[in-house]
Amino acid sequence: MLKGSWRLLLSLFLLMGCRGGETADTENRSAPPIVAKQEATTPVTGDWLVTHALSDPEQLNPLTSNDATASEILSFIFQSLLTRDPRTLELKPLIAQSRPIVSEDKRAYTFKIRRDVHFQDGRPLTGEDVLFSVKAIKCPLVNAPFLQVYFNSIIDAEMIDEYSIRFVTKEPYFLNESVLGENVLILPRHYYDPENLLKDVTLRDLLRDPSKLPDKVKKFADNFNKNYSRNPVGSGPYKFEDWKTGREVDILRDPNYWGNSKPGIDQVFLDRIKYRIINNMDAALVTLKSGSLDTMDLTPIQHTRGTNSERFKREFQKLEYFAPSYSYIGWNNENPIFMDKRVRQAMTYLTNRRQMVKTLLFGLGEVVNGPIFFFRPEYDKTLHDYPYNPDKALTILREAGWKDSDGDGILDKIINGKRTPFRFEFKVPSGSSTGKSIILVLQEELKKHGILATVRELDWTIFLDDVKNHKFDAVIMAWAMQASEPDEYQVWHSSQAANKGSDHISYKNARVDRILEDYRREFDPKKRVKLYREFQEILNDEQPYTFLFARKSVSAVQRRFHGVEVYPAGLRPQEWWVPRSAQKYARETMLQ
Amino acid sequence: MGRYIVQRLFLLIPTFVGVTLVGFLVMHLAPGDPAELRAAGGLGGAREGAISRNKQGGVDEALSQWRKQYGLDRPLPIQYAVWLKNLVTLNFGESFKDNQSVWNKIIERVPVTVKLNVLSLLLVYLIAIPLGIYSATHSNSLGDQITTLVAFVLFAVPLIWAATMAIVFICGGDFLYLFPPAGLESLDYSSHWSLWRKLKDQAWHIFLPVVLLSYDGFAGLSRYMRASMLEVMGQDFVQMARAKGLQERVVIFKHVLRNSLIPQVTILASILPGLIGGSVIIETIFSIPGLGQLGYESVLARDYPTVLALFTVSAILTLVGILISDLLLAVVDPRIAFGRRQ
Repeated sequence: MLKGSWRLLLSLFLLMGCRGGETADTENRSAPPIVAKQEATTPVTGDWLVTHALSDPEQLNPLTSNDATASEILSFIFQSLLTRDPRTLELKPLIAQSRPIVSEDKRAYTFKIRRDVHFQDGRPLTGEDVLFSVKAIKCPLVNAPFLQVYFNSIIDAEMIDEYSIRFVTKEPYFLNESVLGENVLILPRHYYDPENLLKDVTLRDLLRDPSKLPDKVKKFADNFNKNYSRNPVGSGPYKFEDWKTGREVDILRDPNYWGNSKPGIDQVFLDRIKYRIINNMDAALVTLKSGSLDTMDLTPIQHTRGTNSERFKREFQKLEYFAPSYSYIGWNNENPIFMDKRVRQAMTYLTNRRQMVKTLLFGLGEVVNGPIFFFRPEYDKTLHDYPYNPDKALTILREAGWKDSDGDGILDKIINGKRTPFRFEFKVPSGSSTGKSIILVLQEELKKHGILATVRELDWTIFLDDVKNHKFDAVIMAWAMQASEPDEYQVWHSSQAANKGSDHISYKNARVDRILEDYRREFDPKKRVKLYREFQEILNDEQPYTFLFARKSVSAVQRRFHGVEVYPAGLRPQEWWVPRSAQKYARETMLQ
Repeated sequence: MGRYIVQRLFLLIPTFVGVTLVGFLVMHLAPGDPAELRAAGGLGGAREGAISRNKQGGVDEALSQWRKQYGLDRPLPIQYAVWLKNLVTLNFGESFKDNQSVWNKIIERVPVTVKLNVLSLLLVYLIAIPLGIYSATHSNSLGDQITTLVAFVLFAVPLIWAATMAIVFICGGDFLYLFPPAGLESLDYSSHWSLWRKLKDQAWHIFLPVVLLSYDGFAGLSRYMRASMLEVMGQDFVQMARAKGLQERVVIFKHVLRNSLIPQVTILASILPGLIGGSVIIETIFSIPGLGQLGYESVLARDYPTVLALFTVSAILTLVGILISDLLLAVVDPRIAFGRRQ
């Protein structure tokens, strides 16, 4: 289950699906024949899921952790006011009784909290815990600056009574509901702040100068930063059991989970989820085959070779799903060569994206033409496709004034009174092998047409630094995003081109700026879709990026698991279960 | 002798400070910034070349706040001074990753690495020393040439390749299942098992990493052994012993072997830091939670305090190792006398 946007990278490892399984599961998914039919339809509790993690989570403090494995584990242990329906991706209540009441000016949100929720230690969850959780996030001394960035718009919070809480935001913004509803993991105040040090500190106090905060806030933050790295307690269906560094992390089904057999609350069945830490993908696959792992994500090469034997297919099913991300080539729009949109269009025509998906991704991907996750209603499927067409590209380049006038085999053009050859540099992060392959293919293609591109590989952090400072001609990168409502402001608004913002290609368009601003203030989803259709058409014409593709992930899952479904929001191991006769691991003696 | 030791200990201090200064500078001046790395979504992003988004601006502010929290906003000389000051009280600081004490993180992993390396060293010595003796006593025979060839071929095989091949072919994939591909104990390992069962399980897991960690060490050590044996064998007192009519066995094991072991003592200096340094490659490939793996992950994550602590520990062990081997030399070889004027 994907929670807030700050845990985005999760998506790259976990599981985002396509609708209704169009592409899901290329294989037959029958239950093992030993299982009687009736038994196969009623979920029962029991058995373990042994799953793979490539490295240890950095830590399991829900606010200060910053990595994908941790986010995934924490999503089983902690809950938020709202959650998303896995099928429709609509927000729905979880800890809240219903979606919030939004004030007339669209700035205040009031949540009513369920009265039957308790934490894993048995203590009830009340508005006090919710308020504490928000204060902890906003506390400038808590070591979570990158999470705090998402909460800049929250400027006040107060309890109306023990079970209702009201938040005030800076300005109307339709995603504030998601920020408050999904991104605030609710922490038990009595556990994370046993001395109640934040009691008399209001959220407004925390917004002031950090150096003027009272000592007890500092005391709270020190304690919070240091002493809660490996002992999370929340209200979710799984509770933390054990973490052996470099070996495994275990979470156990909580037999006293507040949501047990409550209507509308998702039930869980597996007694234990064990994350085995295996740093090496080859070793992980071998472990999977030898039976010591039940599921793992496969690399494209593992998917095409090495997991197609009859024996493998008998034991595992493979599921394909889209990660909400896309890869692209970013053209520096301030570079004299790429300033001209015709040049950028030509570059897209010269990029054989379908062929790349086929040969470089082994078919595990889909060509995209815009920045929005293409299963979202906002994504415009009618956009011009720019199919591979060198002739057309060359015609456009000629129209734009590019020709080989000095006969050296390289196109050139007089720009600002100077003869400029068509020569530029691609920057590629050295860790990304796909990125490198794409550029090499493209480099070869461009060379045929008199365009000289060189490639420079850079260490990730150096690469990022160059990108932020706009020190590049062209880069290959990917954006990881969410399957929920998009907000493209951060990447395309002209204000983001300055101050190391995310518009690192310096794209500027007044109409686009206007659309992006209006969109954020628009609370009607239909009108938002309309706004973003226009936005995508402009981008499609101007080609500031050459949009490449969205990649697919593949997971192998042992066949004894039932209820394995591909949702638009990914695989959900918390729904899986194993019929009693097929259960592999001993039933747990449930400890209270 | 006592005075000599004290002298040497004092000399260690400037060397040590110099070494840590270089280490500190290398770490901090190397490109890449831990704060930026975290802002872009951590190491997962590096793997995929992807950045997460939907942050509502203000990232720069967050970056500077993060740097401030960890003292990275101060000038480098001050950062170094603070670090050195903490070091004197054996405080290695806290990891950027989880705010836990670096010292505890290291201590937690020491047993695994030491176990792995001691076993592999034992294996290397048990095989290489007899091999060297054999090569020396049968020098230039066919047997000598074959063992030399094999030792050098093993030396030349890249560890990362050998380990991957071993995992693919004998660790339970589509081929043989002789050894486990990852970890140090079975999935269902429990502390309730009998001692014998525990030992068996651990031995089964550690066998392959130990063998792989050892095979390239045979060449070097057996060569050293061979060379020093041959050198001693050419000396007059050996001739003398033979002339006395001693059995060849006694000549070799009593006179030659003892004397040719003296140079081997100096190798101790390199063993001590090796015990802690561990093998980054083997620990990472076999998912063994030792110090090598910790170092590798910390370098990738630019976790300065952890990297520097590991660096410092191995610097100390190297220096101490050199000191010990110097002193041992004096013990085993009475001809060497330190600190005594001629």
